[in-house]
Amino acid sequence: MFSASAKYYQSFLIGLQSNLVYRLNFAVRGFFSLFHLAVVFILWGAAYAGTLHIGGFSFEQTLTYFLVMLVMQFFVGAFNEDYQISEEIRSGLINQFILKPINYFSYRFSIFVAARLVSGALILIPLCVALPFLHSYLTLPTDPWRYGLVIPAMLLSAFIQFSIAYCFGMLTFWFLEIQGFVILSMAIESLLGGQMFPLDLLPAWMLEIAKLLPFYYQTYFPTAILTGRIDLAATYQGFAIQLFWAVALLGLNTVLWRRGLRRHTAVGG
Amino acid sequence: MPKYLKIWLASARYSITRTLMFRFDFFLWATVELLWMAVNLLLIAVIYEHTDSIAGWKKYEMMLLVGTSLLVQRFLMGFFWSSLFEMGRNIKSGAFDFFLAQPGNILFMASTRKLDLDGLLNSFVAMGVIAYSANQLGLQPSALDLLLYAAMIFCGLIIHYSMLVITISLAFWLTSAQGIESSYFTLSEFSRLPRAAFKGVASVVFVWLLPVVVVSNAPAEVLLRGFQPNWVLALLAATIAWFVAALIIFHRGLRRYASASS
Repeated sequence: MFSASAKYYQSFLIGLQSNLVYRLNFAVRGFFSLFHLAVVFILWGAAYAGTLHIGGFSFEQTLTYFLVMLVMQFFVGAFNEDYQISEEIRSGLINQFILKPINYFSYRFSIFVAARLVSGALILIPLCVALPFLHSYLTLPTDPWRYGLVIPAMLLSAFIQFSIAYCFGMLTFWFLEIQGFVILSMAIESLLGGQMFPLDLLPAWMLEIAKLLPFYYQTYFPTAILTGRIDLAATYQGFAIQLFWAVALLGLNTVLWRRGLRRHTAVGG
Repeated sequence: MPKYLKIWLASARYSITRTLMFRFDFFLWATVELLWMAVNLLLIAVIYEHTDSIAGWKKYEMMLLVGTSLLVQRFLMGFFWSSLFEMGRNIKSGAFDFFLAQPGNILFMASTRKLDLDGLLNSFVAMGVIAYSANQLGLQPSALDLLLYAAMIFCGLIIHYSMLVITISLAFWLTSAQGIESSYFTLSEFSRLPRAAFKGVASVVFVWLLPVVVVSNAPAEVLLRGFQPNWVLALLAATIAWFVAALIIFHRGLRRYASASS
């Protein structure tokens, strides 16, 4: 009999293999991200033309922020997990998980971890291509604690990212089509997750609100730790809120799964 | 009434009926687009909280530029997006046969089948942004300027349409062009930047090779600084070149279309 860890290790391996099949897609996506980086470079370069600092940070620091944010997205971001879950519910593939001694959340999470290892490794390729052009602009702080604490922050971020995607996948129990919800949340996430601009540029009261929401802890939090945008005290405070959201989203997903299954109709054999 | 106008009106009627059937979907997608527009405008607002100029452009000049870029994109979304998006999937599945069997121009039939009313509704929001910015700048464009602006937006729509047709036509060669449409969004990001911000290689690639910057900057310049023959000529040349390229690539691709076995 499989122990729990061996069971999910196997699904992790399957996830690794199936994601390696799509290595070209991830690599192409990575190269297209460089275009986004070009937009960032041109827009912020023009904004910095008349000033040395924006929000207390130099052009190099801001560019480093966006580059780290990009890498972070490939390592901890949810890509299309919501659609995959939605498709499994809609097509009835989910029925096999109801009948087997496997936890669907853990199964999907192990595949998500495998997918991020593949996409994270693949973003390094376009990054290496771009590095000769970018390295003179890159500047990271030297405090050792940042490099230690960014790891647990990234792990919790990945968990939150996956949990939110899982949550949207669960909506399929109630709505046939979830694409609208997903793209709606993408807009909120790109804004409050710090993908559009560093969140510390927001007016203070908006930043305080953003800090309380889970989106802040999706990619901004680890990026801010690594790029020197928050201090040690704010990092500890951030960990407390991040942990709260990780637990809260796990609870919410458990409820959604149970409630959703009550509505689910398994047809056919 | 010309035949194609009749066909287009029939498609429009069908789309409106469909929207009325799925009202929640309509509101959801209208909100999605509205939120994305707000995110883009907020980015500009936040940057101008910390600086006075981006490549010599003041806040409301940038807002007018972003509004113009969003307007062209909303028209593309409203008139063509759904149909072209489905075209990619139909080429893969073989359902594109349906369009080949219709008695009309294939590209016209395939790209005007569905209207998205949410995109068209949000085009009024984009117009509102443009009007508000123009008002803040104290602009008083003449009727001729406005007419020229509208004509340039139309040219911009043709260019965006052509770029999307070319992107989707890649499905004839690649079969699985899934996700390829997202490259359109990546390129459209450039259209929200002022021409003056592009220097060196970026200027050659994004201003002259790809028309994304001209599409938004040319009409915005007309409102901001009046008629400038260089911008008008650049836009006209790009419109003709990209539309012809789209037609050629689409028809080349069509020759490769092998349908699908049942």
